[in-house]
Amino acid sequence: MTSIDVRDLTKEFGGRRAVDRLTFRVHPGRVTGFLGPNGAGKSTTMRLVLGLDRPTAGSATIGGRPYPALREPLRHVGALLDAQAAHGSRTARDHLRVLAASNRIPDRRVDEVLQETGLASVARRRVRTYSLGMRQRLGIAAALLGDPEVVMLDEPSNGLDPEGIVWIRTLLRRLAGEGRTVLVSSHLMNETASFADHLVVLGRGRLLADTPVRDFIHARVRPRVRIRTTDPVALTSVLARHGHDAQEHADGHWTVDGARLDDIGRVACAAGLPLLELAAEEGTLEQAYFDLTGAETEFTAQHQEA
Amino acid sequence: MERTPVLRSEWLKIRTLRSLPGALLALFAATVAFSALAGVSEASDPGFDPLFASLSGVIPGQIAAVSFGAMAVSSEFHQGALRLSLAAVPRRGRWFAAKAAVIAAPALLVGLGAALAALLAARAGLGRAAGGLSTGEQVRGVVGCGLYLMLMALFAAGIAALLRSGVATLSLLVPFILVVSFVIGDATGTLADFLPDKAGQLVLRETYDGTLGPWSGLAVTALWTAAALLAGAWRLCRRDA
Repeated sequence: MTSIDVRDLTKEFGGRRAVDRLTFRVHPGRVTGFLGPNGAGKSTTMRLVLGLDRPTAGSATIGGRPYPALREPLRHVGALLDAQAAHGSRTARDHLRVLAASNRIPDRRVDEVLQETGLASVARRRVRTYSLGMRQRLGIAAALLGDPEVVMLDEPSNGLDPEGIVWIRTLLRRLAGEGRTVLVSSHLMNETASFADHLVVLGRGRLLADTPVRDFIHARVRPRVRIRTTDPVALTSVLARHGHDAQEHADGHWTVDGARLDDIGRVACAAGLPLLELAAEEGTLEQAYFDLTGAETEFTAQHQEA
Repeated sequence: MERTPVLRSEWLKIRTLRSLPGALLALFAATVAFSALAGVSEASDPGFDPLFASLSGVIPGQIAAVSFGAMAVSSEFHQGALRLSLAAVPRRGRWFAAKAAVIAAPALLVGLGAALAALLAARAGLGRAAGGLSTGEQVRGVVGCGLYLMLMALFAAGIAALLRSGVATLSLLVPFILVVSFVIGDATGTLADFLPDKAGQLVLRETYDGTLGPWSGLAVTALWTAAALLAGAWRLCRRDA
């Protein structure tokens, strides 16, 4: 079985560390989501794995061998880095035939992947006429060309329509089900959680998390309770007595972070508080992800006061 | 990783980009047409060289050769095309060698064909003025013309890999060939004779004087080309893709 091994990988661009002593392993048979804000180093890591960029330090291997040492690498690793890479003046079919020829992949396989990605009917059109979604499908077709045991896709759902997003989800699940190693980068947590089994999260080139999706949700999504009452003074004092800290919001409702519905309900009832509303308001997965990466975001908009 | 699949893939790249066979067609058309035109013009100039006149279409023709070489390489330098190519063929030296080979072979073949057609067309026009040309001189002219056009295409390919841009390459080489070489080239100094285009064109002349002969002139162009290709390969192998 082939896994991707990244060990102490570091890449500097003119003194700036894009990837900072990164160590993780991508296992076969599951989809690993590669998450991080823009500029976190996801694409750089993928380029380093493919031997396109040279690491400043550390190593990246596929099945124990550096990528450039692979004989006919497309038969082992399929990658989508940039959907715009196909030359606009070539037809989609010719684009794939060129790649196939270099790794002795028969033209029959070209037609198979065109069929698989839904491009068969437009295969003889020039790539210039393709929409972003179609280019994305062509990039995925190129990645699947050599029937590789390792598949690496950089933001594959970019530009896909809702139907395309469902398609890619199914495709990724199928590839992992066939025992392949699948690494998919994204900056969208919810999207990634819908297909990934495992998460590798980066921030400013550093590893922030390397964990199964389920554990991430359990550990990171904090419970929260929303309350409305006619007696805020009593509410705060009752909650404070039980060690809860309530925050007031502009429209008059209160929230208690880290508390569960059962606790607050019992406490409020015992104190005879008049409640207008009592509801669970759990942070989303997206929020948990922001909490994790917030400090590591390279490009953030200035916070706007409401 | 074997050599032949890489060559096949690179050759397929040339064939499937309409502009590249187009450039070769332009190379043939320009070389033949301008040589034929020179054939019907007056040959009373004292410095008239019947062999060079018969092959003078090489001056516009080499622009097409340079474009062919530059575009074949520069198509790899837009968006992530190079990354895709090098992910398929990670051994960069081998990849670039294959690229150079599929530029050289068609440029040479089309160049030879164009030179032969140009010579025949111009001789028909020149009539007696071209009568003094020996068979040896004509063979040298045709073979030299093909080699020269191939070397110029490769020279441009090397520069394009070095500059990582086709536009930059063409805006450097085209004015150089058309203007610089023309202006300082006629003032036959010692150094101007060693310019890549000036030196190589000696093979197209019936008579020549100066330090370089026809084949040594072509060898000078070959040295320029080798240097450009090595510089391009060096940049390709050293840089992140």
